[in-house]
Amino acid sequence: MLINILETAFNLIISFNEDLFEIIGLSLRVTMSALLIAVLISIPLGAFLVFYKNRLQSFIVLLANTLMGMPPVVLGLLIYTLVSKQGIFGFLDILYTPTAMILAQTLLIIPIVVSLTYEEIYKKNKEFDLFLSSLNLTKFKKLKTLIYESRYALVTVALTGFGRASAEVGAVMIVGGNINHFTRVMTTAIAFETSKGSIELAVALGLILILISLIITLLIKSLRKIS
Amino acid sequence: MDILPLTINNLNYEINDNFILKNINMRTSEKGVTIIAGNNGSGKSTLLKILHGLINIPQNTIKWGNYKISDVKRNQSMVFQNPLLLNRTTYENLIYVNNQKNIKDKYNIEEIIEKLNLKNIINLNAKYLSGGERQKVAIAMAIIGNPKIIFLDEPTSQLDPVYKNEIEFIINSLANHDTKIFMTSHDISQIRRIGKEIIFLNDGEILYKNSVIQFFKEKQCDLIENYINYG
Repeated sequence: MLINILETAFNLIISFNEDLFEIIGLSLRVTMSALLIAVLISIPLGAFLVFYKNRLQSFIVLLANTLMGMPPVVLGLLIYTLVSKQGIFGFLDILYTPTAMILAQTLLIIPIVVSLTYEEIYKKNKEFDLFLSSLNLTKFKKLKTLIYESRYALVTVALTGFGRASAEVGAVMIVGGNINHFTRVMTTAIAFETSKGSIELAVALGLILILISLIITLLIKSLRKIS
Repeated sequence: MDILPLTINNLNYEINDNFILKNINMRTSEKGVTIIAGNNGSGKSTLLKILHGLINIPQNTIKWGNYKISDVKRNQSMVFQNPLLLNRTTYENLIYVNNQKNIKDKYNIEEIIEKLNLKNIINLNAKYLSGGERQKVAIAMAIIGNPKIIFLDEPTSQLDPVYKNEIEFIINSLANHDTKIFMTSHDISQIRRIGKEIIFLNDGEILYKNSVIQFFKEKQCDLIENYINYG
């Protein structure tokens, strides 16, 4: 039976099944958008935190570390209460749209990228602080140099965020609603197709997810080697 | 800009109630290489960092001519004991420093590459350089922009005799071209070869300060005698 399921799943992939690739396309669009927004916010923020040691900075680092392990369903629930019709951002009318899913994944990735960026830049700053101070650089110039020096590590950080977001199901299910041809992504589709017994499509999507995960792992490995 | 004499008035520096430097008072007009010597933990590197403005101290404790440390910082550079190079090629490391010092002309860099014989490693990433090569690149980075003062923290401590000789030649040639050098060293024969003046520290205090010639000529206390004999 398993062989038959895998065979059908492979056929769906190699025949470029329209439904399958529509789901993959939306998944990648949502996750890549979330990653881009999260990285643009989190890398400068994580790096900036290294230079400003005060209570607010300690609190933000602690918060980011804590939120790294936040269950996605809780985050989904939180966003749901904020963007549903009765919520304070209800007027935005984004519930059950890809925008809400991007928002959920962005908020999921931000703590991870902030926290890991902070760690990386902190290490690099310890290594290069004397040298950069010797050149009499402003904090902004130091920050630019440290981010550039950590470039490979930061791509790894971004890939870690991507991995976390692409594998996430709870939050996008709650705020996206898993609407066919509109907000159905790989993880929600796997859950849905399995529940209705259509296991072949779920397995095909699962294989794609594993492939994505493999690519990310290989990329992280080679980037670690370079850096 | 006349950076000499260097005057230090009552310099004290402590960390967690431990004095690293105590009651340092001195004045020097020596233009060549000033050696800062002393046993491990005597405060040599801390003194270099303070003179370079990497550690904050009360204003007016140190005067370079009539200038404060912050006024001369742009005319100083430092080479650290473990040379810090960016994860880039040798050339990119040099260009980085050139850009940070706002020097438009790249001729200066070409001249330094030639002078320090760096041509063979110019396109090599810094992480693949040997200890001696790293030290040479760090010195090359330090002399970009012709600083008036260079601090060298044990620049040859981990090098073989060939590189040591090459780096001493560079230090001598810088000193002969009006660059004031402050250098820490444990190597007695090196101190004899390139030092003009010596400041000997013990437990954060100046134990001896005079010309290197006098240092070796005069009868010294047991601590310094032992240092000379076993150095």
